[in-house]
Amino acid sequence: MSNIAGKAYAMNVITPMRWYKVWLNRLIFWAALKAPNVLNGLLTLSLIHYARWVIIPRDKFPRLDPSQPKEELEYSYMMFFSNFNGSWAQYVDSFTFAIPSGLDLFWKMNVRYPKSVPLTPFHDYIQHNQIDTSHYYTAYPMAASNDVKSAKNVKKALIDFNAASSNKSPDEFLEDYNKLLNQLQHDFGEMRPTPIVSLAAQAVKERYMETQAGNR
Amino acid sequence: MTQNLDLTDIQGNIVKAYGSFGFFKARYLFLRVDDGDKGRDFVGLITAKVTSAERWKKEAAPSVTTNIAFTYPGLKALELPTASLMGFPADFVMGMSKRKDILGDDGPSDPQHWDKIWQETVHIWISINGKSQEVIEERYQWILQQIEASRGVTLLEGHRGEDKDGNPVEDLPYQDASVLYDENGIPTAKEHFGYTDGIGDPVFEGQTNNAARVVGRGKLTREGGWEPLATGEFILGHVDEAMEYPQTAPRPDLLSNNATYMVYRKLHENVGTFNNFLDEQTAIFPGGKENKELLAAKFSGRWRDNGAPLVDTPDNESKAEWDKRFAAADVPTQKNMLTNFTYNDDISGAKCPLSAHTRRINPRGSLEYGVKDAFDTPGALVNRRRILRRGLPYGKIKDQTSDKGNHGIIFMALNADIKRQFEFIQQQWINYANDFKQGNDKEVLLGNHDAKNPGKVVLEVEEGSGKPPHFVCNIPRLVETRGGDYFFIPSITALKMIAGGIIDPT
Amino acid sequence: MASKSGNATALTVLSPIVNGIVDGKSFADITRERSLRIPIHEKSPLAKVPNTYLARLFILDNVFYESLPGSDSVFNFSEITSILSDSARKKALPRKDQLKSKYLVFSSNFYGDLDEYLTGMWEKWSYDDNGQQRDVRYIWEHCVAFEGVSDATSFIRYIKRCQLDATLFFNGSTDDSLQEQLKALYLKQEFSKFAAAHQGKSAADVQQAFKAFIARVQPENLSQPSWQPGQSTP
Repeated sequence: MSNIAGKAYAMNVITPMRWYKVWLNRLIFWAALKAPNVLNGLLTLSLIHYARWVIIPRDKFPRLDPSQPKEELEYSYMMFFSNFNGSWAQYVDSFTFAIPSGLDLFWKMNVRYPKSVPLTPFHDYIQHNQIDTSHYYTAYPMAASNDVKSAKNVKKALIDFNAASSNKSPDEFLEDYNKLLNQLQHDFGEMRPTPIVSLAAQAVKERYMETQAGNR
Repeated sequence: MTQNLDLTDIQGNIVKAYGSFGFFKARYLFLRVDDGDKGRDFVGLITAKVTSAERWKKEAAPSVTTNIAFTYPGLKALELPTASLMGFPADFVMGMSKRKDILGDDGPSDPQHWDKIWQETVHIWISINGKSQEVIEERYQWILQQIEASRGVTLLEGHRGEDKDGNPVEDLPYQDASVLYDENGIPTAKEHFGYTDGIGDPVFEGQTNNAARVVGRGKLTREGGWEPLATGEFILGHVDEAMEYPQTAPRPDLLSNNATYMVYRKLHENVGTFNNFLDEQTAIFPGGKENKELLAAKFSGRWRDNGAPLVDTPDNESKAEWDKRFAAADVPTQKNMLTNFTYNDDISGAKCPLSAHTRRINPRGSLEYGVKDAFDTPGALVNRRRILRRGLPYGKIKDQTSDKGNHGIIFMALNADIKRQFEFIQQQWINYANDFKQGNDKEVLLGNHDAKNPGKVVLEVEEGSGKPPHFVCNIPRLVETRGGDYFFIPSITALKMIAGGIIDPT
Repeated sequence: MASKSGNATALTVLSPIVNGIVDGKSFADITRERSLRIPIHEKSPLAKVPNTYLARLFILDNVFYESLPGSDSVFNFSEITSILSDSARKKALPRKDQLKSKYLVFSSNFYGDLDEYLTGMWEKWSYDDNGQQRDVRYIWEHCVAFEGVSDATSFIRYIKRCQLDATLFFNGSTDDSLQEQLKALYLKQEFSKFAAAHQGKSAADVQQAFKAFIARVQPENLSQPSWQPGQSTP
């Protein structure tokens, strides 16, 4: 129904690359994995739950039956799937300005990739090659990636604290409790539904909710 | 500063915050165009008195200024060609009231509760800024004559305010605004909650030749210095931070060059609620009454009395010491003390909370969270989200314990892209906090808290100190939107072309 | 396998849709319509599929022609030859590709083992479609060779034939089980409220309240109380 599910935005991008450059791109990705500092900016940006790049060599589109026509393609293709917080229109600037060279690295081998700066050609390139999602699901519509990571922190600290301190004397308990709050002071943000990042998406959702209400 | 601006072509309110040039009073008028031809003639007459951004020599500075801007329906009523109209961005075309779900203008801020004037379509905004009420009145009378003579535009009534005898009325034909004066009649930079306002507006290329003014107000460099922001962040037809011309510019170039977009918002301040809330919260804040001002500063990021930045004055002792230095300093040093800071030594927010107003609207380099060289530049997430703030307080407070009456701020934000700059800040940083890793916790002062969802923020303390952070809960709606819209401020060349009906995007 | 990051798994599936028309509608459009009509959040069938973090469905109709300005090489020999020869210029234009099938794309990020996950999809995927219960076969019905799928084993075999390996899988979140993630989110929300509500209380009061709090939220009980998969309101 939409590219948006709660606080997450689904992005699908498919871009052609010359088949003989596929190995080079694989090498770049392999290097990115081996040298995690390349991903430092992406981690600090902390807007992404999960993202992936999938390279499909031109002769490797799934063919399941002789009755299915064989693909005959000039190019190999790279598909990019991302689950990030906020809408693309809102956050294209944040991505581009935080990690311009990272973006260039990932798309460098693709046909007519314009580089991430200036921004509009890059924005246009992504939009030109973007495919809208029909159904998008997140297990936690009220949580951003930050919240999932912060929650892990809270759970562990809470269990550790409970084991170590719950039966101490009240004063010692309070001292430890205050330490716990101090340790978790950046983890107390309340999680509520996302602000409306797109009026069009919101209108679609409201119409859908009306049909749901009508069903009951 | 390599950028040369055509200051005689750019309207003065874009480059200058008139308040800091001694224009302590303002009057804002809103009009409807009833007839395209006659409306254009009217624009031509006003254009003759429109104030440019030309640098004033002391003796030649005017005592009154006039500026003009248009809503999208206004430009349509003035019969701009369709191809030009289609070049405007969707946010501007829709106007502010239709963007209420993006902006969080709900409950008491919902457009249905706005001043009566916003229940109809506004076409033109005209501002008069003056050094005295007399010169404003004089210029106002002149504009009334032009309206009368044109027979094609109507001055719209319907601003809430007070009549001459101080009685509340709802049908004023203008919105007055003024700096607030202290008990000795000296003009101040304060707003009705008592905060010192208007410090640290962004500085862009071509605006000033004074490098000292850029400190703390431009963009932060990797080396810790400051550079002016790209002109295109604030004025169309100039290269922006993305190394391109702003994409929000309609055609032809002569229509959009040296223009910008303005957000006009009338923000009512619930003074009684604020004072009550501050007292209630002070009672449970560590230190109690002695720390009332510290708590107020934790909401805003600056101390109320003189605007001292909280990162440099995190407690009463350091504040007293800062005050002494401030009092002894010359004006340039004082300005530097007010703006020259970052949050890099306060990533945890122990000094200035992550929820504080100044930190939310301009996080400086702090969204790198202290990770060395995480981003291409420390301001990567900030430099595209800056706004020029113009505007003044309006109304007088008669009763510090009551929300009633008409008092607040006429807030005006200028930027090249309303959606990317103003709306982003309002939604993502004021009414939401994922970029600050604080979930949905809204900024204290401007957040759209309500009884159903009262606000909460965490005031951080020093990490590893063993002390608990302080929770501020049950935050009520302190500021309510009472009206406003999105406007296009054309260059003086474009004004003449609009007036002449000779805009041609072909 | 770049499709794993710790225990987090990236599943990318491209299932070709049969070229054909029934009652004036192509199979691809029928599949798209079905995907578009799947209910959202708590009611999504994916809320029932164990360990799904985030997942999506869409139809890949075709690939795009790169009718865009710009060059993709540091130095491109064709840029020189294009100026000199018109045929070289034409040859340097991007090629036009055309897919011969449309593909149902399913992309999921989940916790754990692929076979277990796919078994969960086969067994648990269900939703209400205007009064009709739909299982996973309803979405894949018109995909090539799907008629051979009759049980979990054949479903797993089928999906694996459609599966593509990720070249790079970036995990910006955690790789805990979904129950673990949801319980943690629940605890974060509840403990934030607790901490705020008990600010400034006496040591004995806080301790007592904390014990009651722990008894209520049961931090180590992953199944309950907790957030439900797809829960969209507090």
